[in-house]
Amino acid sequence: MRIVEVNNLNFSYDGRYKVLENVSFFVEEGDFLGIVGPNGAGKSTLFKLLLRFLKPQSGEILIFGKRIEEFRDWKSIGYVPQRLSVEHTFPGKVKELLFSVSHDKRETEYLIEYLKIGNILEKQFTKLSGGQQQKVLLAIALSSNPKLILLDEPTTGLDIHTLNHLINILLDLNSNHRKTIMMISHDIGTLLKYSNKILCLNRKVCYFGNPTGAIEFIEEVFGLRGILDGAS
Amino acid sequence: MELLSYDFIQRGLLAGILIAVSTALIGVFLILKRFAFLGAGLSHAAFGSIAISFLINADIHLTTVIFTVLIANLIEFLTQTRKVPGDTAIAVIFSSGMALAVIILGIAKGFGENLFSYLFGNILMVSKEELLYSFFVFLLTISFLLIFYKKLLITTFSEEIARVKGVNISFINYAFVSLTAVVIVASIKAVGVILASSMVVIPAMTGILLANSFLMSLVYSCLISVFSVISGILVSFKYDLPPSGTIVGISILAFILSFVLRKLPLK
Repeated sequence: MRIVEVNNLNFSYDGRYKVLENVSFFVEEGDFLGIVGPNGAGKSTLFKLLLRFLKPQSGEILIFGKRIEEFRDWKSIGYVPQRLSVEHTFPGKVKELLFSVSHDKRETEYLIEYLKIGNILEKQFTKLSGGQQQKVLLAIALSSNPKLILLDEPTTGLDIHTLNHLINILLDLNSNHRKTIMMISHDIGTLLKYSNKILCLNRKVCYFGNPTGAIEFIEEVFGLRGILDGAS
Repeated sequence: MELLSYDFIQRGLLAGILIAVSTALIGVFLILKRFAFLGAGLSHAAFGSIAISFLINADIHLTTVIFTVLIANLIEFLTQTRKVPGDTAIAVIFSSGMALAVIILGIAKGFGENLFSYLFGNILMVSKEELLYSFFVFLLTISFLLIFYKKLLITTFSEEIARVKGVNISFINYAFVSLTAVVIVASIKAVGVILASSMVVIPAMTGILLANSFLMSLVYSCLISVFSVISGILVSFKYDLPPSGTIVGISILAFILSFVLRKLPLK
């Protein structure tokens, strides 16, 4: 089943400069789609269009087979944003945040156990490390038991240990819990290694397919010829 | 204790406490949403509306509430549709309210003194109707927060996440700015147009600085706000000082004290 289908999508913020041009791709149930591309390639904009924060000038987006204009079941999508502009004095504890989006106490307790965040529940979100914050955001995203999870650069700024831990969680969600994952990252090596599909975006789709065939196109887009040898 | 036997002191204290809780509660959300300046913008817009009410001899309370709620929704509309940045929209409204009042004062004579009394307010002059309005505002604020607490909390944290979680952001934001407008009109009587935003911002910021959770920031804000109002009224009466300035002065002292407390290993 196709979870996401995008056909000839065009978007521009100012009506002139196209941030996305004729973008088409699809995501099937159980896919782990890695999205790569340089800064300003339209990756985060694509997520905002998929979440209906923005409306495209033209093109079609289908979510779970429904046209996005008619799609209402937003709780079946989990979203981990790229950058949170939370006020640095925000006093909310992790526990308060989790239970503000929780509809099922037992489900939330399972999530806390699953993500091993029981030790930080009483801490204020703004005082957590980057890795801990990412896990809390993932917990919030998973709180409605979504079938599709969108992650916008969740690995930025994480040390190698925290990065591996987060990737292992995502792989487990993907393979053992049948969650479909779409992840934007600049960590090309990680995406090539763990994704089953790659979307290389630079305002247009430069490549869409399996990771093995992606290297050549990614090298071209980033100007990295030879650097990614052996990455996959 | 003898002070408390006076009817007007009792009315002032009661109205002050009701307003203090309402302003403190909305203040926490406004600060964390980076919308703290909204209070100042709305109170100055309300001043323009008060001047119009005097000019056309209309009911001041009703006219000001309707006008201020409309203005609050206009600011939210301009911000949400990204036609104008939020702080710029507030600055324009702020200046427009004052300009309107100044023009009306210039063309119409005879009510200048009454109009100026709204600039600084006087909680000890609260009428029974105004006390009733304060009670209504208090009930409205508490009910709104009880009903929408979880949604307000996650919206304050991240509007994007809240939207994906199914929160109707538009409704929450418009309802919240409308509530803010209603609360601001009530606080004008307590501390006047100029200091109304202080009641919204200072105790709330103090509560946020002291608290180690969202819920406790609301509790501390209310306690500091109520303390400032009660002590402000009693001190101003005893030493013949203006109540509005004294209330705000005490809340500023509490704010400064909170910085010192934060440095101490108390948490």
